[in-house]
Amino acid sequence: MSSSAPVLQVRGLKKTFITPFRRLRVPALKKIDFQINAGEITGFLGANGAGKTTTIKCLLELAFPDEGEITYFGQKGLSLEAKARIGFLPERPYFYEHLTGLEFLQFYGQLSGRIRGVDLRRRAEELLERVKLQHAGTRPLRGYSKGMLQRIGIAQALIHRPDFVILDEPMTGLDPDGRFEVREIIREVAKQGTAVFFSSHLLPDAEQLCRRLVIVKKGEMVFEGGTHELLDQVQRGWLIHWRSPENPNELKSETVADLVNLQVQIDAVRKRGGQIEDVTRVRASLEEIFMKIGFEDSALLKSQQGRSPEVVR
Amino acid sequence: MFQSVYVIARNTFREVIRDRILYGLAVFGVMLVMFALALGQLSFSDHVRLTANFGFTAIHISSAILSIFIGSTLVSREIEKQTILTLLARPISRTQFILGKAMGLMGVILCVDLGLALILALILAGIDFEFSVNFGVAMFGVLIEALLLVSLTLFYGTFAKPFMTVVFSAASFLLGHWISSLDFFVEKSQSEGFRIVGGLLMRAVPNLEAFNWRSAPVYNLQVAPGEVLVALFYGLAWSLILLSATSIIFRRRDFV
Ligand SMILES: Nc1ncnc2c1ncn2[C@@H]1O[C@H](COP(=O)(O)OP(=O)(O)OP(=O)(O)O)[C@@H](O)[C@H]1O
Ligand SMILES: [Mg+2]
Repeated sequence: MSSSAPVLQVRGLKKTFITPFRRLRVPALKKIDFQINAGEITGFLGANGAGKTTTIKCLLELAFPDEGEITYFGQKGLSLEAKARIGFLPERPYFYEHLTGLEFLQFYGQLSGRIRGVDLRRRAEELLERVKLQHAGTRPLRGYSKGMLQRIGIAQALIHRPDFVILDEPMTGLDPDGRFEVREIIREVAKQGTAVFFSSHLLPDAEQLCRRLVIVKKGEMVFEGGTHELLDQVQRGWLIHWRSPENPNELKSETVADLVNLQVQIDAVRKRGGQIEDVTRVRASLEEIFMKIGFEDSALLKSQQGRSPEVVR
Repeated sequence: MFQSVYVIARNTFREVIRDRILYGLAVFGVMLVMFALALGQLSFSDHVRLTANFGFTAIHISSAILSIFIGSTLVSREIEKQTILTLLARPISRTQFILGKAMGLMGVILCVDLGLALILALILAGIDFEFSVNFGVAMFGVLIEALLLVSLTLFYGTFAKPFMTVVFSAASFLLGHWISSLDFFVEKSQSEGFRIVGGLLMRAVPNLEAFNWRSAPVYNLQVAPGEVLVALFYGLAWSLILLSATSIIFRRRDFV
């Protein structure tokens, strides 16, 4: 795979749903643009109803956008060849109940047209082990728990060694161990050169995993870029921990806003004979950024109702 | 192209044969065929013919029920359970998906019909029935009809819920068998309006009597090979039109 062409480029994606009967127009996606690079892990963040699943469905032509252009591996549109290189885990993992875990993986491997026979069987067994389901490989999926279905779904997305995997909320419904496992799998897969695009509202997961983030809010892109870039933008100062000579058992802390104040505060502590223990940068977590986005959002709504002109971000 | 259709067909086959509904319907079919034997015992004069006649009817009805009932949920179940999402994300077209579903179900119907035919053959062998190639011809007709019914049901399934799909398909089944008798009335009719409506109806609904060679083995009638061939093309043409329409309707659908 050439690493120069982006795996995916999305431009001006728009989608409005029309509800049956009452014919209400629900603008789910207003204008979505982003890009995914080869071998990178990109997080797709947004609150409930922001349009993550709809975007992903449009990417895979499970739903058709009203407008927009999608380019895979440097070629316009979703060809069967491009599809063969993509793996997908849907939001709600409902799978063929009549198949056993092993049959299920083999079925999807055969459908990909990329892997077959002994190689496929070996790959299926390897993946079953990787998602810790080796004991359940011969049982029908009917008897799988929700978390087990999520795991086998991830294995299904990877069975044909795709160049690009799209995972819609891969960690939802998993216990902490399961989340950890999935994170590890995503890291491994990316290390082997597969680009990963996964949606989540689990912000810490994205923060740890992704070099790049795409954030949507009510069907609109609000951020695309490096995770650190975003976090730096919301730098909130420094946190100092120190002990004063009068009361060395008590660890004191203070937050300062900028570098100048940091020096001043350090000098003050040192002058009094205090001991600096730790200085850390304080960055807003994505959680807080989300809160902020949410807050701006309600302000936006209000000003729209008041018809004031300065609403556009 | 055909590889993908085959893989989907095989999975559909597996899905249907691992479904309890099939066994309910199959047992019903077996009982219906066995009933032919009991019915034959009642009649003293013509019990071989009566048994054969009822036996073929039993297979025909079972085959139609299977096509319509299982066909009605074949695609809707994939949508409802969202299994279609992962399936269509794979390198297959929606047309291949529809064809695979239809072929998979046809595989099951083929097995069930052959099983029922075998039971009927055993029953008939026990009462000195005279076997001929007509037995095979009658079964062949039942199978073409099943293909047509499956295609029709998949077509209805693109816009109707499973229950209404069954209703529409069952109505088409009854109409399709009755339509050839309509022919007679249309020709004799004085009313222009009736002739036009009747004529249209006859073209809009597949004539399922075209595949009815079920009396041939019973009364030892001759069936011209040409007639079978024409009927085969007629059935295939209808199926092709219906499956094409189904996949065209399906092509731009959102799965949300
Ligand atoms: N079939 C539909 N008909 C009408 N509106 C829809 C339909 N599907 C989605 N929507 C709307 O589109 C918007 C985006 O939904 P989407 O499922 O993409 O959100 P999401 O970001 O995946 O949310 P979640 O985190 O809850 O999964 C929502 O406002 C939703 O109400
Ligand atoms: Mg979603």
